[in-house]
Amino acid sequence: MQRQRRGDVMTDLVNRRSLTSIFFKTLGISLFIYLFLGFMVLPCLNTLTSIFRETNAAGEPDPFAVIRFFFAGNMKNYVLNSLKLAVILVVTVNVVGVSIVLLTEYFDIKGAKILRLGYMTTLIYSGVALVTGYQFLYDDDGILTTRLLELFPNMNPNWFTGFNAVLFTMTFACTSNHALFLRNAIRNIDYNTVEAARNMGARPFKVLFRVVFPTLTPTMFSLTVMTFVTGLCAMSAPTLLGYDSINPEIVRLAGSSSADESFPQARAALLSIILAMFTIILLSILSAYERKGHYLSVSKTKARLQKQKITNPVANVLAHIYAYVLFVIYMIPVVMIILFSFQPYTSIRMKNIDFKNWTLLNFFGSADYQYMTSRGTYKTRKGSISGLFSNEATLAGIKISFIMSVAAAALACVIVVIVCNYIFKNRNKKTSTVLEYCLLFPWLLPTILICYSYRVFFNNETIWYVGNLNLYYAERVRFLIILAYTVVRLPFSLRMIKAAFYAIDEELEDAARNLGASGLRTFLQVKLPIILPSVLAVFALNFNYLFTEYDMSATFASSYATSYAMVIQSMTREEGLYGYNVNASGRRCASTVFIMIVSGIILYLVYGVGGRDLGERLAIRDKRRKRWQKIKARFQREPVQSTT
Amino acid sequence: MIRINNIVVKFGDFTALNKINVHVKEGEFFTFLGPSGCGKTTTLRTITGFIEPTEGTIEVKGRDITHVPIEDRNIGIVFQNYALFPTMTVYDNIAFGLRVKKLNRKDIDLKVREIARKVELSDDQLKRAVSELSGGQQQRVAIARALVLEPSIICMDEPLSNLDAKLRVQLRNELKKMQKDFGITTIYVTHDQEEALTLSDRIAVFNKGVIEQIGTPNEVYNYSRTEFVCNFIGDINRLCEDIVRQMAVKGAQVDPGKHNYIRLERVHVNTPPTEEDLVLDARVDSREYYGIYIKYYLDLGCQTIKVIERNDGVNIYEPGQMVKVVINPRDIMAYPANAAAEER
Repeated sequence: MQRQRRGDVMTDLVNRRSLTSIFFKTLGISLFIYLFLGFMVLPCLNTLTSIFRETNAAGEPDPFAVIRFFFAGNMKNYVLNSLKLAVILVVTVNVVGVSIVLLTEYFDIKGAKILRLGYMTTLIYSGVALVTGYQFLYDDDGILTTRLLELFPNMNPNWFTGFNAVLFTMTFACTSNHALFLRNAIRNIDYNTVEAARNMGARPFKVLFRVVFPTLTPTMFSLTVMTFVTGLCAMSAPTLLGYDSINPEIVRLAGSSSADESFPQARAALLSIILAMFTIILLSILSAYERKGHYLSVSKTKARLQKQKITNPVANVLAHIYAYVLFVIYMIPVVMIILFSFQPYTSIRMKNIDFKNWTLLNFFGSADYQYMTSRGTYKTRKGSISGLFSNEATLAGIKISFIMSVAAAALACVIVVIVCNYIFKNRNKKTSTVLEYCLLFPWLLPTILICYSYRVFFNNETIWYVGNLNLYYAERVRFLIILAYTVVRLPFSLRMIKAAFYAIDEELEDAARNLGASGLRTFLQVKLPIILPSVLAVFALNFNYLFTEYDMSATFASSYATSYAMVIQSMTREEGLYGYNVNASGRRCASTVFIMIVSGIILYLVYGVGGRDLGERLAIRDKRRKRWQKIKARFQREPVQSTT
Repeated sequence: MIRINNIVVKFGDFTALNKINVHVKEGEFFTFLGPSGCGKTTTLRTITGFIEPTEGTIEVKGRDITHVPIEDRNIGIVFQNYALFPTMTVYDNIAFGLRVKKLNRKDIDLKVREIARKVELSDDQLKRAVSELSGGQQQRVAIARALVLEPSIICMDEPLSNLDAKLRVQLRNELKKMQKDFGITTIYVTHDQEEALTLSDRIAVFNKGVIEQIGTPNEVYNYSRTEFVCNFIGDINRLCEDIVRQMAVKGAQVDPGKHNYIRLERVHVNTPPTEEDLVLDARVDSREYYGIYIKYYLDLGCQTIKVIERNDGVNIYEPGQMVKVVINPRDIMAYPANAAAEER
């Protein structure tokens, strides 16, 4: 009887638990469907269908009007221009990218450590900061162009515009992935294979082409596809350097109205869809290639790669020259920007470094500016010279970018952690596969398409599931941008955090359950601490990407959400007009330095501090404690010594 | 203590366990032994609650726990790779279950230090990260973590399999001593027959989801009930029909139609035979030197037979040398020649 009652109590408990579990499961699934359909599928679907919703002059539906327009007008030129950039970029980026990796990791080049630092500078500044940095040096009144004009007066001062400028800038900006991934791939090569080839009589360059390169092919292929997509979706460089490609045109059309030109919205949608099609095709090729599998080393004991000496003296000298020329190209913008960020506006205007006159005014504080009016009188504009952290517009940009980036980076991490936890627990179920693909969905779409779709779709008061609120209106656009940022960062976050989840030993969960822990407790106390370094790393990398992003905020183009990158971009145009913003260039340099510092700190935290396990952290804590005790003991001992 | 009644576990169409019946006595060291995929870990996970059986019941001290949630079963587990929480110190690992039970801090500290002392973990080691400990120390932490909750049973899933051979032997002895000291009922899973024989009070030999034999180490080794058990436990020679026929001719109670086996140590070389012994001429084919003993491969004409001889430093036979092999028919274990046995 007693046993029966105990059994009944147990069954009740189990039933209650399963009811709670069903409730939360249903709630989770409903919320996910709402978010996925409402904020991923419907806006993009609206963009796709808008192409076919146009009417002709008589007001009759004409579903193929935009497509006819595409082939009749110059719209296809934007697509061809983007394709041209993407194709040539693949060649130039691979040449430079492979060169920098070989020069620092494979060949014995003197000063390789310094060279590596130089080549990796693009990791800490990219996007608008990098493009404006290049402009600071090379545009019509840039430092280098000014110097070159002094030497060659007949030279075209506008040489750094259009396709060549975009290609040059993006070539060096896009080698970051090579510096990270190709470097890792080359470091993983088993040196015994190189030695074996040498032993069989192969010369160093034969070894390079027949043994080393084939093992790098999978990484190279992935990098090539990613570079192609980057070239196709390029935004900040073409916008700032003046090159007609798809993305700047989409942004332009998005801000245009049918009063100015024929069906701008539908044209923007068509261009977005074309971009999406290219992206989907390329990513499918990449994914099919990745499924084929990579070369796996079969060595039981892998030997560390040793640097190869270039035995031919001429080739050796040429390799050194090439390495250092690349180093100079990478380093000049960085060095110049750092130096000029501490220079007064007069030196920046004159493009001369005044070694006796350094200032922090580009970063902090403000000063008045006196200028001569057309009447020949002097006028003073108060606070016209202002530092990065004193200028209202810049500070507002930093603030809004910071808030939006932190919110979106955190939101993406939270969503992905919850989803990954579900996927991890239900790894063999179809629902987890569906869930995973849903989160990877934004990866197939160019960011511009997502942002453009949001801007158009939510810019009305008829969307019932957001409470009939116009989300593009006034300050609400910030919420919309946060959503777009989050959606765009979901695939990356998923790939990284999922890998961290799968590194968790399954038995840990069983152990925690066996010790009586609930699902929530197991997640919070066992799984989360294990994946936390990865989650924080993803959060930091998301933040780093979003804090200085330009493409998305430019697509939204709202004065209520002027991002930091947009402020930096505007600094290139507003300098010195009527005595306003006198030191805009100086502030631009300071901004780039600030971005470098922020990115540098984030990378250090992610890869330096974040990589430590509990043992290492405890050892450091122990070391600090001992050092502190030593210092304390010294202070306590000293008075005793003095009395004796 | 533990009674497993007619347990069936199915994964889709695949039957992982088919009508398993086991009775483990209080304080017993009971081992599930068998090759990979035979169902021993599935049985253990069914007992601990990670797998719900398709049919059958599990009782602990007369209480049916078949559908009781894992956390309410009061069964401790030591996992194959110990499953120590890497982000926690040794202390926090051991204290985890006590904190879940919401014990006060003082009691937790008391219990953790007490169990740590019993498994010989120092105060300094308690403060360290688990990754800083050796394999043996990690095993002790895993045992302490399981025992601190005072479970009625402790289950161990191949806890020695990830260690090197020397450490395995050392920890095996420690494990046995600890089990005797705590007097706790232990279910141990292993595929290592030597481990099973040295540690266990009783052994259940698993094969393809069923139990082939339950018995003491001596029973399963010397009186293997099935051909699978006899083959799986220890090294063995299957005698060719010719030799068995010669024994039958001599009047021994053997059946050449069956599969006849003899353990290596039951075959003798150059020893004076008794009346019922069969003596055969053999040539030493090769030998393996193990220090304490020597294993010989002897060519009997119809087959090569393995023999182990104590290394006395005097009677060491060289390859090619002719010797006399002595076999007592009573040492033979015979099994019906069925299809399953042929397959093996």
